[in-house]
Amino acid sequence: MQQVQTPQPQNAVMPVPPQVITVKDSNYLKDQLSWELLAMKKCRHFAQECTDPEIVQMIDKAGQMHQRHYMLLLKHLQNNNTEEMKKVPQPQQ
Amino acid sequence: MSPNPTSQTIQNPKPANEPQVKGPEMNDRDRVNDILALEKYLTDSFNISAREASHSYLHQDIMTILNETHQCQYELFELMFRKGHYKLEAEQQQTLDQAYQQFNGYSTQFPYQTQTLQ
Repeated sequence: MQQVQTPQPQNAVMPVPPQVITVKDSNYLKDQLSWELLAMKKCRHFAQECTDPEIVQMIDKAGQMHQRHYMLLLKHLQNNNTEEMKKVPQPQQ
Repeated sequence: MSPNPTSQTIQNPKPANEPQVKGPEMNDRDRVNDILALEKYLTDSFNISAREASHSYLHQDIMTILNETHQCQYELFELMFRKGHYKLEAEQQQTLDQAYQQFNGYSTQFPYQTQTLQ
């Protein structure tokens, strides 16, 4: 995010992986978002059914955590892969 | 299950409102247990996601989620323990001492120089 990018010579070595969402990242992100969505729904549903106020509070707290995690993961799907890929030196043909 | 004089059991009393005779319907304990299982499953899954992430910001966020999910899982365990849903058993002192002797003895196999344990 805060990386300052200078134009790369064609034979530049990348010291770290670029801020690109790979196919694998994307597949995992979609899975993770599905887990979090199901988790938050389940927590809310169960909390509504519980009688002990302490249990209700704890389960709702877990549900809210899953909702926060969902938003944290979702922002990675807003990655500008097109821009990021322009900075990546392509292997010589 | 009779309490013996040298009891090694660690358990809180069960809550008074818990149904004595349990039917097929889900109760509070079943629900909190199910959420605990859910969090345990998520820590496993996020652990795999974390080690497969490519760039560092993604990795950091997944590590945050992994850590918070672990904390949540442990808080649920603590709640259940408080409510008397977990019975723990202390290890016998003799067994603990024997294991200490055994594994302390293995320090002769350490490949690095360290200060020896007292």
